[in-house]
Amino acid sequence: MSSQDHLKETNTEERFEFKKEEKSAFKSEKGLTEETVRVISEDKDEPEWMLERRLRALKHFQKMPMPTDWPEAPDLSEVDIDEIIPYIRPDIDVRGGVDDWTELPEEIKDTFDKLGIPEAEKNALSGVGAQYESEIVYQNMQERWEEKGVIFCDMDKAVQEHEELVKEYFMTKAVPPSDNKFAALHGAIWSGGSFVYVPEDTTVDMPIQAYFRMNSEGMGQFEHTLIIAEEGSEVHYIEGCSAPKYSAFNLHSGGVEVFVGEDAHVQYSTVQNWSKNTYNLNTKRAIAEKGGRMEWISGSMGSKATMLYPSTILKGRGASDNHITIAMAGEGQDIDTGAKVYHNAPDTKSTVESKSIAKDGGRTNYRGLVHIADGAENSSTAVECDALMFDNKSTSDTMPYMEINESKVDVAHEATVGKIGDEDIFYLQSRGLDDDDAKQMIVSGFIEPITEELPIEYAVELNRLVELEMEGSLG
Amino acid sequence: MSTKAIESLSEDTVRRIADERDEPEWLLEARLDALDALETAALPDVIQTPGRRWTDLEALDFEALVDPLNQSDATERTAGDDEVVVLPFTEAFDEYGDVIEANFGSVLDADHNYLTALSVALFTTGTFVYVPEGVDVEDVKVRAEMNSRSLFSQTLVVAEESSSVTILESITSGDGSGERVDGDRYFSNLVEVVAGENANVQFGSLQNLDDDTYTYSLKRGVTDTYAAIDWIESNFGSKLTRSDVETELNGDGSESQIVGTFFGTDDQHFDINARVWHQAEHTTADLVTRGVLDDVARSVYEGVQDVGEDAWNTSSYQRENTLMLSDDAEADASPKLIIHNHDTEASHSATVGQVDAEDLFYLESRTINPRTARNMLVEGFFVPVFEEIAVDEFRDDVEELVVERLQ
Repeated sequence: MSSQDHLKETNTEERFEFKKEEKSAFKSEKGLTEETVRVISEDKDEPEWMLERRLRALKHFQKMPMPTDWPEAPDLSEVDIDEIIPYIRPDIDVRGGVDDWTELPEEIKDTFDKLGIPEAEKNALSGVGAQYESEIVYQNMQERWEEKGVIFCDMDKAVQEHEELVKEYFMTKAVPPSDNKFAALHGAIWSGGSFVYVPEDTTVDMPIQAYFRMNSEGMGQFEHTLIIAEEGSEVHYIEGCSAPKYSAFNLHSGGVEVFVGEDAHVQYSTVQNWSKNTYNLNTKRAIAEKGGRMEWISGSMGSKATMLYPSTILKGRGASDNHITIAMAGEGQDIDTGAKVYHNAPDTKSTVESKSIAKDGGRTNYRGLVHIADGAENSSTAVECDALMFDNKSTSDTMPYMEINESKVDVAHEATVGKIGDEDIFYLQSRGLDDDDAKQMIVSGFIEPITEELPIEYAVELNRLVELEMEGSLG
Repeated sequence: MSTKAIESLSEDTVRRIADERDEPEWLLEARLDALDALETAALPDVIQTPGRRWTDLEALDFEALVDPLNQSDATERTAGDDEVVVLPFTEAFDEYGDVIEANFGSVLDADHNYLTALSVALFTTGTFVYVPEGVDVEDVKVRAEMNSRSLFSQTLVVAEESSSVTILESITSGDGSGERVDGDRYFSNLVEVVAGENANVQFGSLQNLDDDTYTYSLKRGVTDTYAAIDWIESNFGSKLTRSDVETELNGDGSESQIVGTFFGTDDQHFDINARVWHQAEHTTADLVTRGVLDDVARSVYEGVQDVGEDAWNTSSYQRENTLMLSDDAEADASPKLIIHNHDTEASHSATVGQVDAEDLFYLESRTINPRTARNMLVEGFFVPVFEEIAVDEFRDDVEELVVERLQ
């Protein structure tokens, strides 16, 4: 069975919604104090400098305001950090992840089997990391990459084994803890995530993937991903996320930092299907050197509220950025997502394509910023946002911000909002499709320009998720 | 916002302004309420992005700018037709007190923000335009000259059922023939338009104050069924301009167009805002703004198309284009869509760019000198908005100001 068939035939709802009994080796107390931070750091046996960074981040967190003064900001009133369990170390023997699925405890292995990860690894990936609760439990990469000097490991392990690199890049250049409240929170209690290092002129031709799973009720997941792509290298990193739904809220506040070297090319793809009690508040940022190219591809289907604006700083001449975003919000969901691009050098280019779908009282918002600095001559940016709405209980907002300090530029922003055309539906019905299928087909067509940019497994998965969201929801 | 409390302002100041104009009791009450609102009202919302505030209104020194008891203006009002009433606010109470009382403040709340409250508490000039049912007039003109440290103006337009009116308003600084006021000045202009069923109001405004003046202008209209309000907002003067033009489409089948132009030179700062709220069925809005920036001028633009839950069959469009003539200029823009009903066709677009190099090359190859060629292209850039201006005289005035700035 090909991976594509496998994904098609698996019942997607069952794949994401199952729960496992909570079993942990170490679980922190609820809430956040200096003591919590020290306990986490100690349990990980971290060097002193990392503990200091955590404590500094904690200070920022305590000082900073919630992002509630933004226009039309999602409601975060339920997010009480004192109700969150910030750290759960799963009950496994090997810290930093085993490299053989069969060595994992049965219930964890079963979790990832159901999610289709080992199957995908066999067929289409250069490497896989899998995080369960707060730590990576499985990590493996094909040997040929290891021989070329590519590093793909658990972030906690990287702190120990690649200390110099981590010390230089970890929350110092791209995402300082002072950036926003949740970046500060992340800096204080981060755990797990991936470290990727691609040496000069190395092209990793199949994607590497990390999968993040929250299993316990009321937990927070704060994984950190650090990608360093040296000059002339190329890598595609894929991140998948899910959790079963509980009555209490979960919090996911990841941090992603990407360093795109000269003429390097990094693609970062995310398909986020958090359960609808999860607050997904992430900070993701890339810095691109001369001629470097950064691509962000994001599908946001899950979560109760998402605030996510992947950013790229185009630092070197001729650097470029592409953002591709799909957001879908159903009942009770508020998906506030977008893109940020800073053009800080001449001849830089960016494009943003955003597609959103709001239905059953859900809200989508494109919130984006393009900044062109004085002196960034011959820069160009094009932002395109299209939104589809199903009913008048839903909301579709578009809030772009453009700051242009340079005259020799080409800046364009366009947005449209509309409903599904009655004529299109009528046409499809006249061809024998029922109403639901017709609408599903139109939605698939609406997002196709974006899904076709994704690797096939992800395109299939995204389409399945969209179909799942659409099922039975249409009157 | 107590930090903005102005010491020279007191209940007594407001009473003196009202007494001098022999105003009815309800208006004095409205002024005193506005004065009270100053205690809590905030400055108008300004766009903020990480690390940046697009317009710094906090920096304005209202203590120095506001001189409530020495306001002075020279305003010429022509009706062009005796079926329409065009009067200074203060002379309209005897005959039209009831109409004014019924409509004053019905569109704009004095406590909307700190600057509206200040304006309602202190206004001394302004115009009342009353267009009775079925009357159709094209030539209402209000030409105002500002001759004091600060000037607060309040305009109310009431267009009754099936009436139609075109109003052109202009504001400039006095030529100094009177007593000269040196240093920074402040002009505040509030305009309310009430468009009755099937009424049609076109309101053109041309601001060309001198470069020592700070301008705050808020114009808002409300439409009844099938009514139309078309705004033309042209800003050329002032050191800093904050301009808001807004329509609430409250009647089924009503329409609004907001056309904006600006041209910034030196260190002028324009904060231009166009907003429309679709709150009824079958409504249409079209927002078109074009601006040019030279030297170190800066523009900030916010356009909002808000479609309410019950606004079935809405059409809403927005375009904003900024042309940069200088490397040191800055253009910020944020066109927003807030959509709560799916039965909507809405779009917006915004661009920032410079004069097209190929066009310039073409003209130069036809032996036109570079400066003239550039100027021709800038004039050409404004054509799409000139075309939206139906009144010849107004269009000519705006064109003239564009040409003047290109010299």
